[in-house]
Amino acid sequence: MSDGDSGRKDDDNVDGKKADGVNPEKKYSDEELAALSRDELVQLGTNLDGVDVAFRRNRWAVEGTRAEKRAERSVAIWFAIAGLSAVAFIGVYLFWPWQYAGIGDENYHLYSLYTPLIGGTMGLAILAVGVGAVQFTKKFIPEEVSIQDRHDGSSSETDRKTLVAELGDSLETSTIGRRKVIKRSLMLGGGALGVMAVLPLGGLIKNPWAKGEDSPLWVSGWTPRYDGETIYLRRDTGRPEDVVLVRPEDLDAGAMETVFPFREADRESEHDLLVSLRGIRNAVMLIRLRPDDASTVVKRKGQESYNYGDYYAYSKICTHLGCPTSLYEQQTNRILCPCHQSQFDALEYARPIFGPAARALPQLPITVNEEGYLVARADFHEALGPAFWERRPERDS
Amino acid sequence: MSTSPPAASGDRDPAKTRRQRKTRRRVTGALVLMMGLLSAGFLASALTPTPQVATADTDSAALIREGKQLYDTSCVTCHGVNLQGVQDRGPSLIGVGEAAVYFQVSSGRMPAMRNEAQVLRKPPKFDDKQIDALGAYVQANGGGPTVILDENGDIAQESLRGDDIARGSELFRLNCASCHNFTGQGGALSSGKFAPDLGPANEQEIYTAMVTGPQNMPKFSDRQLTIEEKSDIIAYVKSAQDTKAAGGWGLAGFGPGTEMVAVWIVGIAAVVGATLWIGARS
Repeated sequence: MSDGDSGRKDDDNVDGKKADGVNPEKKYSDEELAALSRDELVQLGTNLDGVDVAFRRNRWAVEGTRAEKRAERSVAIWFAIAGLSAVAFIGVYLFWPWQYAGIGDENYHLYSLYTPLIGGTMGLAILAVGVGAVQFTKKFIPEEVSIQDRHDGSSSETDRKTLVAELGDSLETSTIGRRKVIKRSLMLGGGALGVMAVLPLGGLIKNPWAKGEDSPLWVSGWTPRYDGETIYLRRDTGRPEDVVLVRPEDLDAGAMETVFPFREADRESEHDLLVSLRGIRNAVMLIRLRPDDASTVVKRKGQESYNYGDYYAYSKICTHLGCPTSLYEQQTNRILCPCHQSQFDALEYARPIFGPAARALPQLPITVNEEGYLVARADFHEALGPAFWERRPERDS
Repeated sequence: MSTSPPAASGDRDPAKTRRQRKTRRRVTGALVLMMGLLSAGFLASALTPTPQVATADTDSAALIREGKQLYDTSCVTCHGVNLQGVQDRGPSLIGVGEAAVYFQVSSGRMPAMRNEAQVLRKPPKFDDKQIDALGAYVQANGGGPTVILDENGDIAQESLRGDDIARGSELFRLNCASCHNFTGQGGALSSGKFAPDLGPANEQEIYTAMVTGPQNMPKFSDRQLTIEEKSDIIAYVKSAQDTKAAGGWGLAGFGPGTEMVAVWIVGIAAVVGATLWIGARS
């Protein structure tokens, strides 16, 4: 409030005319109301709401000055920008080449501008309308300081008593209390509605043990159907129709490859083959250690024969929250999970050595069959994936 | 030869017959040996896979000599006189091949200043000719994977880009993206190490890195990922770098991390600023 002279309490209104004489306590007759000017009515209304306009001043006391014209233009220019941007948006949306074009295609440069132009013009239009509105308010709506009365603490005793009485009266006079049929049908309707709203969530709750020993917590997408079923390891060549098996001479020392075990019997079904290639729990990291490192390996008790020479196969699914842990550091032999920085030691049965993961990555028992391909001898012994604490009941080696 | 049977007819000189037989045996023996050697030679040349690049030409001796001179001034301190490596300084170069030399020296990582968590890319110290010589020396003495040359004998670059970018992208996501990020921007590893941004790497460097597994990168032999598959991967990496961000500004292509920071720092700051401006008296 820098300018105290021109703004005195209740004295001036926008036009500088006096608007005394209104009294919020007074009962106005129709004739008296008709006699009041618009300014007086405004003041009466404000006062009736308990608001007192302490200061109000027209921003442009003298009309038609150059400063005022300038202010007007500065608002108008924002609305004009908004309009032009919106028109540009419509033009781009309708006529710009929007069909995908890759590098080297004729329209690539134009196409690559499509999304930025759509976003830019739309954003600018919305922003400019907002800026124009704020500018208009700041430049032309009169400056004003208003004071509204608020009571301290809680409402008065009268208000509280009357409100409780009103609510009680509403309930009583609605007669719902003694209309038992309506009450019961409402309970039925409301209850069923609630069940209806919650029921779809029930589909998310599944009994993981419904399949018993074949529970998805125990098995992977290629768990052998009988002991000794041939489980080949295949590599993903980026073409799902290729079935490329892995031979031990394929990897250099210090190499890691993601392989996907599959049941030989599944070759007959394109779908089953694709499931084993793309299933979320199926990926296995095949690591060929460097000979120097391989001589320092510490094997897990009971899993001493799971490796084949320098080849070790671990599940790629992190035992913390199931991310793919495929950051294999060849020199340090650590396997990192990119999600929460768990680290596993490939030289020590993929034991967790850092981060939130608590269980070792399950190790897959592998060997080479008579055809010279790497195969899995059996399923994983541990459960795959995150936060699961049991080992499989004794049903295989 | 003393166990030869007695002569069949008496009208010939037994000593002469023995001599003739001896000569015949010698001649046939020599012929059989010749045949054996020849067929072994043919078999060997037929079974030995043809090398990808021409090695050990007559003029390569000079190249190897030049390479040895460079090696003896710049590399020998850490990698030893016979490429065997020096304890706590540098690894053995036996078996790393010309490919590793090309990757390490052309990207400026070697010669390294000191042992750290990670040897960084810097401007190369040697020119192409010298890198070639060093590679020839290491290849001649240690063997290992080689670089890929174009038909005119130049180091292959553009020609290493495969045709199937989509397949390259799939293979990149399966084999490379976990460390190098989906668009090849690089990412963190353990204990201060990191997978570098693939932006400054040329096609041959990407190829040789895959084959030789520099620093903590695993090796991807040509039997694991064929040269064709590697070329598709290279094509994808290059195409991901050249493709403009769909939204106009990709925030370095780093994904949700930078986008979140941008929304919080830039977006929230803009909203707070606008609120202050709207509320300010003027």
